[in-house]
Amino acid sequence: MSDIVEKTLTALPGLFLQNQSVGGPAGVKASFSSRLGGLVRGITALTSKHEEEKLIQQELSSLKATVSAPTTTLKMMKECMVRLIYCEMLGYDASFGYIHAIKLAQQGNLLEKRVGYLAVSLFLHENHELLLLLVNTVVKDLQSTNLVEVCMALTIVSQIFPREMIPAVLPLIEDKLQHSKEIIRRKAVLALYKFYLIAPNQVQHIHIKFRKALCDRDVGVMAASLHIYFRMIKENSSGYKDLTGSFVTILKQVVGGKLPVDFNYHSVPAPWLQIQLLRILGLLGKDDQRTSELMYDVLDESLRRAELNHNVTYAILFECVHTVYSIYPKSELLEKAAKCIGKFVLSPKINLKYLGLKALTYVIQQDPTLALQHQMTIIECLDHPDPIIKRETLELLYRITNAQNVIVIVQKMLEYLHQSKEEYIIVNLVGKIAELAEKYAPDNAWFIQTMNAVFSVGGDVMHPDIPNNFMRLLAEGFDDETEDQQLRLYAVQSYLTLLDVENVFYPQKFLQVMSWVDASLSF
Amino acid sequence: MQFMLLFSRQGKLRLQKWYVPLSDKEKKKITRELVQTVLARKPKMCSFLEWRDLKIVYKRYASLYFCCAIEDQDNELITLEIIHRYVELLDKYFGSVCELDIIFNFEKAYFILDEFLLGGEVQETSKKNVLKAIEQADLLQESGESRSPISIL
Repeated sequence: MSDIVEKTLTALPGLFLQNQSVGGPAGVKASFSSRLGGLVRGITALTSKHEEEKLIQQELSSLKATVSAPTTTLKMMKECMVRLIYCEMLGYDASFGYIHAIKLAQQGNLLEKRVGYLAVSLFLHENHELLLLLVNTVVKDLQSTNLVEVCMALTIVSQIFPREMIPAVLPLIEDKLQHSKEIIRRKAVLALYKFYLIAPNQVQHIHIKFRKALCDRDVGVMAASLHIYFRMIKENSSGYKDLTGSFVTILKQVVGGKLPVDFNYHSVPAPWLQIQLLRILGLLGKDDQRTSELMYDVLDESLRRAELNHNVTYAILFECVHTVYSIYPKSELLEKAAKCIGKFVLSPKINLKYLGLKALTYVIQQDPTLALQHQMTIIECLDHPDPIIKRETLELLYRITNAQNVIVIVQKMLEYLHQSKEEYIIVNLVGKIAELAEKYAPDNAWFIQTMNAVFSVGGDVMHPDIPNNFMRLLAEGFDDETEDQQLRLYAVQSYLTLLDVENVFYPQKFLQVMSWVDASLSF
Repeated sequence: MQFMLLFSRQGKLRLQKWYVPLSDKEKKKITRELVQTVLARKPKMCSFLEWRDLKIVYKRYASLYFCCAIEDQDNELITLEIIHRYVELLDKYFGSVCELDIIFNFEKAYFILDEFLLGGEVQETSKKNVLKAIEQADLLQESGESRSPISIL
C-alpha cells in the first residue's frame, strides 16, 4: 500500500483511542473507565439474571433519553451506540437506537461514522425498512475523496444492502474497479460479489470486468474475484471452461511459491487461495476429460507439496483429494489420493480421523475397496467415545450395507439412536434404518422386530412415509403367498404381545400402525 | 460462512457476526441451543459438529469459544485456520489478547473481523496488510494525532 493510503487507513484505528492518552495494550486499561467498561463491570458484579435485566433496562432507558436529546454530541452518540450494541448482543431490544445508528453513519466524522456503520450492520437486516435511509449516505461516501470513507461504504455494501437500490450504487462501484488502490478494487469486487448473491441478473453485464479482476496484478483483488467465479461456475460450468488454463496457471504459481512472502500462512503459500482454486477446478473438471487433463499436473504437484504437518496443509490435502475424486478419473492421482485418505483415517488426531471418514463416505461409490482396506479402523471408530465420530462411521456404513452385514449395522444404528436426544439426528437415522430394513432384511421376524424398534424410538417425529410404506408393504405383500402370510402373522402376533405389556408408553404413530395391522390383517 | 459466535465458558456471548439473514428470534434460538451443545462437548473430542443441518467448527482458546457455522461444501479444516488467523490478528493487535480485551473492546474486535472476513469470505490473505494498518494506529496515536486525516490527501 502506498504511504498515503497507509496513513489514512491507519489513522482510523488511532481514533479509537481518542479518549485515552496511551495506545496499544495500555489503552485497554484506560478503557476500563469508559462508560461501556462501567456497564460491563456492573453486569459482571450481579449474580442473578433478574438483576441483570433490571440493570440493562435502566441502562437502556437512560440511553434512550440520551440518544433522543438534541444536545447529545456525535461523540457521545458514538459512545451510546457501543453500549447499545452490547445490550443487543446480550439479547435485549434496542430498536429505538437504529435510526440513530444511521444518522451517526451519515453525520459523524471518520470514527463515529465507522461505529455508525458497524451498528447498522449488526442491528438491521436485509428487509428492514430503515435500510433505505442508508443508501444516500453510502452514495455520498462512495464519492468521497477520503479513501477511508470509500472503504467503509464498500464494506457496508458487502454486508447489507437493499436489493432494490442496487442500480443506484452499481455504476459507482463499477467505477471503483479501476481504482489505483488495491484495497478499493478488492472491496469493490466483494461488493459486486454480494450483489451477485442477492440479485444476479443485475450484474450480468459486467462479467467482462470480473475477468479483468481475475487478471489483476494484485493478489488480493484476484483472490476476491474467485469468490464470484466459484458461484458462477457452480451454476454453469460450461460457460467458463476456457478459463481453466488461467486457474491452473495461478494455482501453479501459488503452489510454486511465486507469491510475495506476506501471503504465507505458517510457511504455506496462500492456503485460502489454493483451496478456492481447487474447488473451482473440481467443478470445471467434472465429467469432462479434456478439461480434467489440464489439471492433472498441478493437482499432482499440490499433493506432493503438502508435506508439512500443519493443520492447514491437511486442509489443502483434503480439498485436493476431493477435487481428484470429482473430476474425470486418473488412476495415478486416485492412488495417491487414496493413500492420503488412508493416512487421515489412521491418524490419531481426531479431527483428521473425522475427515478421513468423511472422505471415505464421499468416495465409496467410486472405490468401494478403499473402505474394505480400512475396515478394522472403521469398526474401531464405531465404539469411539466421541459421538460425532460414531455418527460419521454410521453414515459410512449405511453406504456399504449389503445383505451380509445389514443385521450388525442396523443394530449399531439402533444403539446409537437410543442414546441420541437430538430430533434432527433421530429423524435422519430412523429414515435410514427403515430403508435398509426394507431393502436387505434377511427374514420376516427380523424385519418386523426392527421396524418395531424404529417406530418406538422414532415415534412421532419420524417422517410419515415410514409407517405408511410399512403398512402398504404388509397390505400388498410380496409375490410369494406363503411369505406374505408368514409376515402378516408374525406382525399381528408381535403386536398383540406388545399391547399386552402393561405400563409401557408407545408413540402415537406406533399405536396407529399396531391397531391397523391387528384390525385389517388378523383372522 | 453463515455465522461466527464467540462465547465464554459460562455461555455468555461476546461477539456475534451473522452472514445470513435470519430473524432476531431465530438468531437467539440458534445461539442458545448451539452454545449449550458446544459447551457439552468434552475436551478431547472432534472440533467439528453436525448440528441440525449445519456444519459447526469450534475451537476453544483459554476461556473463549470460537464457533463458526459453514456451508456443506466448505472445508472444515480451513475454517479452523480461519479461526486461528483471527485469533492471531487479535493477539497481535492487543498484545497477548485475553477475554477481557475482547469484552471491553468488542467494537475493535468487530473492525478487525470485518477487515479479514467480508460477507462470510476471507478477504485478505496477506497478514501483513491487515496488521500494518492496525499497528501503525498506535504510532499515530502516540504522536497525538487525533484529527481526521483528510488533509493528508
